[in-house]
Amino acid sequence: MATYQDIVSKPTPLAPGHRMCAGCGIPAIVNSIIAASDKPVIVANATGCLEVTSTIYPFSAWNVPWVHLTFENAAAVAAGIETAYKALKKRGKIKDDVNIIAFGGDGGTYDIGIQALSGALERGHRFLYVVYDNEGYMNTGNQRSGATPFGADTTTVPAGTKSIGKTQWRKNIVEISAAHRIPYAAQAAAHNVVDIYNKAKKALSADGPSFLAVLQPCTTNWKYDTALTMKYSKLAVETNFWPLYEIENGKVHINYKPKERKPIEEFLKGQGRYRHLFKPENRYAIEEFQSLVDEEWERLLKLEESGAKL
Amino acid sequence: MGEKILMKGAEAIAEAAIKAGAMAFFGYPITPQNETPEYFSRRMPEVGRIFLQAESEVAAINMIYGAACTGTRVFASSSSPGISLMQEGFSYIANSNVPCVVANVMRGGPGLGDIAPAQGDYFQATKGGGHGDYHTIVIAPHTLQEEVDLVLKAFDLAEKYRIMVVLIVDGLLGQMMEPVEFKETVDVTKFKVPEWATVGQGDREDRIIITSLDLAPEGLEKMNLHLQEKYRKIEEQEVMVEEYRMDDAEYAITAFGTMARISKTTIELARSEGIKVGLIRPITVWPFPSKTIENRANQVKFFFDTELNAGQMIEDVKLALNGARPVYFYGKMGGIVPSAEEVLEEFKKHLGGQHE
Repeated sequence: MATYQDIVSKPTPLAPGHRMCAGCGIPAIVNSIIAASDKPVIVANATGCLEVTSTIYPFSAWNVPWVHLTFENAAAVAAGIETAYKALKKRGKIKDDVNIIAFGGDGGTYDIGIQALSGALERGHRFLYVVYDNEGYMNTGNQRSGATPFGADTTTVPAGTKSIGKTQWRKNIVEISAAHRIPYAAQAAAHNVVDIYNKAKKALSADGPSFLAVLQPCTTNWKYDTALTMKYSKLAVETNFWPLYEIENGKVHINYKPKERKPIEEFLKGQGRYRHLFKPENRYAIEEFQSLVDEEWERLLKLEESGAKL
Repeated sequence: MGEKILMKGAEAIAEAAIKAGAMAFFGYPITPQNETPEYFSRRMPEVGRIFLQAESEVAAINMIYGAACTGTRVFASSSSPGISLMQEGFSYIANSNVPCVVANVMRGGPGLGDIAPAQGDYFQATKGGGHGDYHTIVIAPHTLQEEVDLVLKAFDLAEKYRIMVVLIVDGLLGQMMEPVEFKETVDVTKFKVPEWATVGQGDREDRIIITSLDLAPEGLEKMNLHLQEKYRKIEEQEVMVEEYRMDDAEYAITAFGTMARISKTTIELARSEGIKVGLIRPITVWPFPSKTIENRANQVKFFFDTELNAGQMIEDVKLALNGARPVYFYGKMGGIVPSAEEVLEEFKKHLGGQHE
């Protein structure tokens, strides 16, 4: 098994000098995923934080073949690359095996890109789709997305005297992906590089499409100190808000079960987007948040225990 | 009369739509117009109206279509790549004859391009963009006050003709701040449901049908002829154009939006050097003020068209002139906005030393 030291010692596909925000976890996510590939990697990257900050003209931070594409088509372009690659390989024009990885943010995955994602997963292209999930349209200034959690303040669902912010729970994108009967779908978080690496390894060895959702706390729009990204990523897992789990051939396996689950307040406090929830009149929303988290966690435990295929 | 308020263009357009009685807004995040949906998200609940963030621009324009079918005043905004995604919806809305207003805060293209000001969507806006023989009325303001004034006019035109009206502004007008005055607030309690709206059969003898489909070619031809008749009427009656210092002009600049604004300064600079130049500024770029341009053909020596693109409106200027006068061009692409002095320098290249 690879250690943290092994992973961070590998050459980084994303070169230093990119323009991601101070404290952003995206580079660590991207580097540890690509490090898990023992074959050359081709990256298809949807418009979003990663693309905008890694390719400011005339520079590129990418040390691997990389293509930028429309907001909604990372999975479609990856499917096109995979199809062309297979055809060329069949005709003997390419010898090497490659891994094709698509990266999209949550807006480009949960919302505008879900059609292309669903199509590619259903057709069974052999590629890995990664969503770095910062829970909103962060590149355009914190608009709500299908991944934005309950109670968060965003610029298009602003919290105020009459609103607690977003009132819907987020979509379960991992289960949506797994429902396509793909061999591997998993959830990881920015702070646990070893877990990300191991999941990417499994995903890339799957014979078919694989999906990986990685939580990426956003210092700019979750509004916390830039030194605390990994702390918030860890708290998301320890409160069971963002469980680390995988669905392998339909079977759920939880990778980490906190000995004592921390109350959701520990994850919420200190984040500017949740400050309003701590007002006395909004405390009920924190309780509702907690019960949503507990309900989802219990459901996940049951899925794992039952051993039933999703 | 209201008071003057200092506002950002992308927010002023939203407030103008609210004052004009927009009952629902549908949109999706894209720079440089994020302030528009953000503004609506705060203001619409305050006035008891609808703000809805869609999951894509494709969804947003079709929400507009659905809501417009009920005869409600509806508004959407986006920027170039998002407007491209909406084009199928534009075409359906055109042949379904439902009114709505959409703003395009144009940015540099093609592709993802950049988020700086550009006018590269002129062809898309004025020549169709989507499939089939259709037009939208396209209005191109050049100041924030004009933008605010024209929003109400846009809704009136949309309903008068049951057509989509597109406001094209560029990133500069979207992001800059200027004092604006909201002259009129529409009383939405006076709104009546139009006869064509699909709000249930009620006591009517016939059901109301809104569609862009007719599988019988003769039927579809009829729908097309109806559209063309409507477009001819709009071309006759709804052209808006500004002629600036044209009375004694020996040369004419043609420009719209931001480039028209810059050209006005160019004209002052030129006139201080004794060069008599004026501006013809289409306010509606469709319908295009062809007659105004044609009427000046005998007066001026040449036309000088300037745009933030590779030369798009110039085709309409040339069509209007039909070869009667030379038309020169100066454009910048990629989100670069030239200064008034640069425009003057380019303009003077065509004077043949007469005013050196």
